[in-house]
Amino acid sequence: MVYSEECAIIFRLKGILEFACQLDNPNAGSQSQSTISKSFQGLRSKVSSKHIVFTVCNSPILIWPNTGFRSSVESLTEASACGDILQYIESDDGGSKKTLKKKDKKRSGHTVVNLKLLFEVTDPAGNEAPSLIRVDTQQHCVKMPLHLDCVLSVTTDESLTSVCTGLVETLRKQLADMEEVVQRYRKGSSFLVPQPFHFQLPEPAGLTTVIYPAGVPDSQLQAIREDLHRKFELPSDRPYLRRANAYHFPDAAYKDGYLRNPHIHLNPPNIEDAKLYLVQGVYIYHHYMQDRVDDDGWGCAYRSLQTICSWFQQQGYVETAVPTHTQIQQALVDVGDKEPRFVGSRQWIGSIEVQVVLNQLLGVTSKILFVSQGSELATKGRELANHFQTEGTPVMIGGGVLAHTILGVAWSENSGQIRFLILDPHYTGGEDLQTITDKGWCGWKGPEFWDQNAYYNLCLPQRPKTI
Amino acid sequence: MGRSYFVDEAVEKYLGGLLAADPGSCVTGLLAGQSSPQRDFVVLAVQTPQRESEGQLKSSRGSGPLDDIDVEWVTEHARQVSRMLPGGLCILGLFLVTPPELSKDAQNTLKRLIFAMDKCISKGRLWELTEEDVNDRVTLHICSKTKKTVCKTLDVKDPKSSSKPADWKYQTCVSSSWPMLTCSVEVDLQIPLTGSSSDNTDKCMKDCLKRWAKQIEAGNCLISGRQALDDSELISGQKKNLKTTHRQTFPARILVSDEQPELDERSSALVQLCSGSMRVRGVVHCRAYIHNNKPKARHAVQAIKRDIINTVSSRVEMFLEDLLISEGSRKGLCTGQQALPRRVFAPMPFSGLSVCDYMFPDESTADVADRLKEMLDWETPEEDIDISLESNQLFSPELEMTDSHSDDSSKHVSEVQVENPHIHKAPQYYAGVVVAATIALLATATSLLYFSE
Repeated sequence: MVYSEECAIIFRLKGILEFACQLDNPNAGSQSQSTISKSFQGLRSKVSSKHIVFTVCNSPILIWPNTGFRSSVESLTEASACGDILQYIESDDGGSKKTLKKKDKKRSGHTVVNLKLLFEVTDPAGNEAPSLIRVDTQQHCVKMPLHLDCVLSVTTDESLTSVCTGLVETLRKQLADMEEVVQRYRKGSSFLVPQPFHFQLPEPAGLTTVIYPAGVPDSQLQAIREDLHRKFELPSDRPYLRRANAYHFPDAAYKDGYLRNPHIHLNPPNIEDAKLYLVQGVYIYHHYMQDRVDDDGWGCAYRSLQTICSWFQQQGYVETAVPTHTQIQQALVDVGDKEPRFVGSRQWIGSIEVQVVLNQLLGVTSKILFVSQGSELATKGRELANHFQTEGTPVMIGGGVLAHTILGVAWSENSGQIRFLILDPHYTGGEDLQTITDKGWCGWKGPEFWDQNAYYNLCLPQRPKTI
Repeated sequence: MGRSYFVDEAVEKYLGGLLAADPGSCVTGLLAGQSSPQRDFVVLAVQTPQRESEGQLKSSRGSGPLDDIDVEWVTEHARQVSRMLPGGLCILGLFLVTPPELSKDAQNTLKRLIFAMDKCISKGRLWELTEEDVNDRVTLHICSKTKKTVCKTLDVKDPKSSSKPADWKYQTCVSSSWPMLTCSVEVDLQIPLTGSSSDNTDKCMKDCLKRWAKQIEAGNCLISGRQALDDSELISGQKKNLKTTHRQTFPARILVSDEQPELDERSSALVQLCSGSMRVRGVVHCRAYIHNNKPKARHAVQAIKRDIINTVSSRVEMFLEDLLISEGSRKGLCTGQQALPRRVFAPMPFSGLSVCDYMFPDESTADVADRLKEMLDWETPEEDIDISLESNQLFSPELEMTDSHSDDSSKHVSEVQVENPHIHKAPQYYAGVVVAATIALLATATSLLYFSE
């Protein structure tokens, strides 16, 4: 993940526009098409009209973008740099995040300014008193809310006017894209709601918005993604545009309460000449005692497996939820690897079982790496580096009496020095990032971390070659 | 601690005039003004107009003039007058003048009337009352011989509660420097008509208006370019000049968003088979007043928003009522475009505030003046009736917004009345009463039953 240093602010404009139209005969193809087109045209006019207003969330700022720029705050004029807006915005994060905020800012590199789309109903063009117009033909009345969500990445010195003009243009384009999706997926009088998703694509595409029809699963949108992969020149063997790949805005909280990628808050080890080879993408930290399952003492491999499953889910390869201990055990019984009484027991599992379950539940294949002695792990730098470079998946390692997850290595090809980035599933506390990083539950360890005499099996999950 | 009513001296004069006119009879009437959490202001008093068919009433079963009071008539008058009040103002209560021998029964009568009136007025309301709204209504009883006044309040939310004493104080120029908020609001509502019966038409219209009213209530409001935040005062940082007779005008702007919570979770559009559709489109001119005793901005905002909602719903109601009378059935709602009554303003009796009325397309200012005389007991010269705020031109039905960036392209407007076979109207009041009578009879009957212990 490389963030371009020039883009400093993301303006995100959200709003709802009601789409409504009346169809005489939904099955008359071209007539319905042109009626729908007309309605969308009306919506595009609406966003170009002088009645739209942007309000900057958590601030007193209101902007009329289509009336030669007017704002409710006197010091913000046409020529103001858009970065000037930031001083008027009240941040609403709590005090507990304070210590980490600085580090977070560095990592994310982006400030998000949220705007809401409003319409002014006063100040009309004319003063004709209301009239009632009635149409008596039988019609199908179609109504759906369009949730507009537009983004614009700019540098802080970009003028406010050009940001506003850019946002209006983005709104119009989004409406056009939504119209295309609505028309394509319409069957008679059944209309699917178009939904915008944002994806952080490699430069030069950058932050890109794609409209997908609601209710159609990713699996059925393969052809669309193939087109887009071609258009944006994306590799054709890994997903970038599944719904799960959607860009997570830095200011949005995750609703499930789990921690994601705690490793990004760590400082890398100081080894001369060493390069970092890390897990790619997003995973969730699963550990003892989570979800009210008391697996203290026996569940470490299960938790590591859960972390790996979460990776496949977060990257969009699977849509199923991360399996519970019981579901993992049941999967092993289903393939015949264990007896039925295994389900509900507190028996340990190892790398082989992890490989089996990944295959059974997720359709994911894995490579097994065996080392006869813990001391040998220090020599596996190249293999692990390669793994993280090509596959980039978390690695489960089991041996002695413990299981862990390896999230990356810092390895010097010249000196052979190596450090392992370890995610420890034996942590029994709450989702407290400070404790987890301070106490090393997620941390860099040297080769002495391993039991030098025990043998180890590593399960290296392979990415499916799909988009 | 009871409420305090600050009453304009002109009201005192008016009530005095009523006492002098007919000492032996009972007179009922309305009191209108504005309530605020701390105190209330009364700026208008109007006696209930005489009912024409009075001869028939003599054969009522009641044993005296108090029972002769036509509750339905009083409440209908109240309903009609409340439509004429701009935002911020409402019917605060009723007055009753009786000869001395009937004074003991006066409170009971007033109670009946107050509850019936409140029920009638709140029926068509599209906005919700908030906890800051005052639920007390004032009753003023005046003995025609001794001129003694008894002022009490009743809580309309609690029928079982007893009346509480209140203060009634006369003051000069209560409302002369009340600030006024104005705005013109563009309305464009698409109403699909599901089902075929005419009752359904009403329900569809009401549902749609309710949803629109919620949008307005939830909208951001700017007064003189600034948003009303929290508990701020409307007029801040200015020295209050009590002697001023200059009325400040504050333009208001309303910003809304198209929230549709009931449709949010769906993955497909809502499609309904409709027998037709209706569209209400045009511009309404709105006005609201707020007292000048350190008014809060949010109360002013509430007043103008309620006026916006009321003016649209009143017009639609009146149009449909009128149609029911003149055509005999709702099927008379013909296709094409029909003008809704437009709002005109006139000066309020006694004070410098304004009242409004609604003028049908085939009416003239003379008709409006007649109505004002009847409803408000006040002569209004025709030239004082301002009909310029809403024009009687219609939006062209074929007008579609062109897909261009400039929105001030000239709109083609037509003055044509399309298919509107409108019978020359008797004064609005009577027409309204017949409808109200048929619709509200049950309601008042129920309330009468409830109170005749």
